[in-house]
Amino acid sequence: MTIKHILQLAAVASSVAVFAHGGVAEDFSNGSNASTFGLSGEQKATFSGKVVDILCELSGDCPENCGDGKRNLGIVRDADNALVMVSKNAQFEFNGGTDDLLPYCNKAVDVDGLLIGEDPGVKAKVYMLQLIRHKGETEWSKAERWGEAWKKRNPGADGEGPWYRRDRRVTKQIDKEGYLGLGLEIDKKWIAENQ
Amino acid sequence: MKMRRLRTPAATVLASLACFIVAAGRLSAAPGAQVVEIKGEIIDTWCYLSGVMGGPDAVVGSAHHTCALWCAAGGIPVGVKAEDGTVYMVLKVKGEDPLAQTDTIMELQSDSIVAKGQHYVRDGVNYLVVADVISNEGITNRNHEDFGVVPGFAIPEKK
Repeated sequence: MTIKHILQLAAVASSVAVFAHGGVAEDFSNGSNASTFGLSGEQKATFSGKVVDILCELSGDCPENCGDGKRNLGIVRDADNALVMVSKNAQFEFNGGTDDLLPYCNKAVDVDGLLIGEDPGVKAKVYMLQLIRHKGETEWSKAERWGEAWKKRNPGADGEGPWYRRDRRVTKQIDKEGYLGLGLEIDKKWIAENQ
Repeated sequence: MKMRRLRTPAATVLASLACFIVAAGRLSAAPGAQVVEIKGEIIDTWCYLSGVMGGPDAVVGSAHHTCALWCAAGGIPVGVKAEDGTVYMVLKVKGEDPLAQTDTIMELQSDSIVAKGQHYVRDGVNYLVVADVISNEGITNRNHEDFGVVPGFAIPEKK
């Protein structure tokens, strides 16, 4: 790589950075009925937009039906064309938002929830989706589809206790490397000394 | 309290430049992306960015490993926290979509890695398509020695 190439790349990087950080975060709290939790940089936010497969939106790599539940989804906000990553739904057991967005793939929606993150200059904080509806409808749906979707993905995983104690992929890792991820012997010693 | 960062302007430019320079070159940049090598820790982005489980130093590493597994299995985006603090949202790993019901991301959770892939930035958020994990030291952040397990119920009590 020549000095000329490096300088050209630096110019591109600078322009990307200016674009990425030049936006001022708008206030989308007006009309929001989102529940609050005192999270970092939490802001109520209700807005309209289009549900998208994030990788498709960024790269043009676009499988059918927004990846059919295998990809991270987001919302391109009508007001400012910002791509908002949906990280969380309205359930309280470590649940993401893809199952709640997937029925609206490439559709126009209204959403209500919380923008999260402490950087004031970031135009698109990550989003906790609490309510969703087709754009312009009157009735909201709670973003709580994950639990039923997990049951369909994990037939035979019925049992006592929360899903995360029974999930096959979770238990496989813990059985192999322990709760600390450092090996079963370290786990055993730490638990004996601390619990 | 240490700032959780999706990015900072100076860090993004410097990291981008550094990554250009170290890029090995065999992986071609996709349109709109830059080929990068990122050294960092695989993290659970929700707990890290939201502070829901505690401060940023407690929701990484061995202390938070079990919760990070829960969140990855729950479909919460996994990220790479680079050494400069920048968080990259992982959109694909070794050709697999992140919510595919496989063990790939689960096996990487909390590990210290060097990842090579395509870096996208939009609206202040950094995204990473990991083409390959070129080194993996496993979990090197043994912060359970300082914080215990986070959350405290990560290890079930004996009955």
